[in-house]
Amino acid sequence: MALVHIDALHKHFGSNHVLKGIDLDIEEGQVIALIGRSGSGKSTLLRTINGLESFDDGCIEVDGERIHPHETDLRALRQKVGMVFQQFNLFPHLTAGQNVMLATRVVKKMPEQEAIDLAKAMLLKVGLQDKFDSYPDQLSGGQQQRVAIARALAMQPRVLLCDEITSALDPELVNEVLAVVKNLAAEGITLIMVTHEMRFAREVGDKLVFMYQGRIHEAGDPQELFANPQTPELASFIGSIN
Amino acid sequence: MNDISTWDIARNLLDGALWTIGLSLTAFILGGLAGLVVLFARIAKSPLPRRLAQGYIEIFQGTPLLMQLFIIFFGGSLIGLEISPWIAAALGLTLFTSAYLGEIWRGCVEAVSKGQWEASASLAMTHVEQMRHVILPQALRIAIAPTVGFSVQVVKGTAVTSIIGFVELTKTGSMLANATYQPFLVFGLVALGYFALCYPLSAYSRILERKIHGSRAH
Repeated sequence: MALVHIDALHKHFGSNHVLKGIDLDIEEGQVIALIGRSGSGKSTLLRTINGLESFDDGCIEVDGERIHPHETDLRALRQKVGMVFQQFNLFPHLTAGQNVMLATRVVKKMPEQEAIDLAKAMLLKVGLQDKFDSYPDQLSGGQQQRVAIARALAMQPRVLLCDEITSALDPELVNEVLAVVKNLAAEGITLIMVTHEMRFAREVGDKLVFMYQGRIHEAGDPQELFANPQTPELASFIGSIN
Repeated sequence: MNDISTWDIARNLLDGALWTIGLSLTAFILGGLAGLVVLFARIAKSPLPRRLAQGYIEIFQGTPLLMQLFIIFFGGSLIGLEISPWIAAALGLTLFTSAYLGEIWRGCVEAVSKGQWEASASLAMTHVEQMRHVILPQALRIAIAPTVGFSVQVVKGTAVTSIIGFVELTKTGSMLANATYQPFLVFGLVALGYFALCYPLSAYSRILERKIHGSRAH
């Protein structure tokens, strides 16, 4: 049984049919790179997996937690799915440590000392153990994004979603974030990432999913697809970014 | 002959000013509490409380404060309730304040970026937990300056209650003006009194605004 199972997923934004029947199975420990032009539906697909976007038809199952169209009770699902955003979205009124601890305290009701220890461990994992008491605006973009990763990891999700997490960063800060993601991949964390970092997708990804006009147009081994795209759309997409 | 000294005028005006301050504080505190109720109704998930709150806000923002006071004061006696000018003034200003503060605070809640909602939702927080730990602490910071700024409107709004016979600064002033035939002096002092109350508030609001925009978000 796949860890994430997406079946015949459809979504409309008004009259715009943005997801036109997505089927996707993701195994535990896989790193999935979702690529495609803007408007292809890749971010929307990612956001349906933790319920930030509703969908109109089909179903999504994550680790046995099944959600249906227009589901409103998403708490159980969201405990299994972590998310990291393009704009970091750290809580600006809390320190890095408090950002990481908040949900473990509030949602998981973890005792304070345990939550502090866990937050410290998570910050250590992203190389920011000395920034526990720093506020987000005292950190660089790359550091903020690493705190955001630590915050998501503290909830011990089964899957981590990454939505263009390096797109808002200055070029010199991209690598520190990618290095963290690479470590997570090596640890066997299941990752689904929308990304424009093709070199990274190729190196770290176990599976490349190319989306085109609301459908999965091509999917498979990243090395193979990059070397030998089967469709002219993927060929032209790869050509346009190289 | 006129045997009311300037000292008498000043002393009486100070008395009136105390009632203005008392009424302002009452309206601001009770209006603030009621404003919280309006705020939570206004941003509720279900449409019924949202619509009720919106109607409430529109009624109080869309009619003059004076009419609201007349309706409470005269409407009360019409249904057989003897409402004193003090109660009518306090009630009217409280309702007025709650409608404005509720709407100001709603704006502050909505000024917190969508990403904060999404990030906290992704961490499996409930709506109440999101509000309590993520949204309201940030909205509160944004709200301080406009809330203090609005308190100036409440202080000036109390002047209207003189018309239903509540003896605060303005009413004291008009009685003194009639007794002394020195309206320019008396109302000059009355205006000075309001300025002395309002200027510190608006200056403080400006300082707060600068602080929030100029400094870090914590």
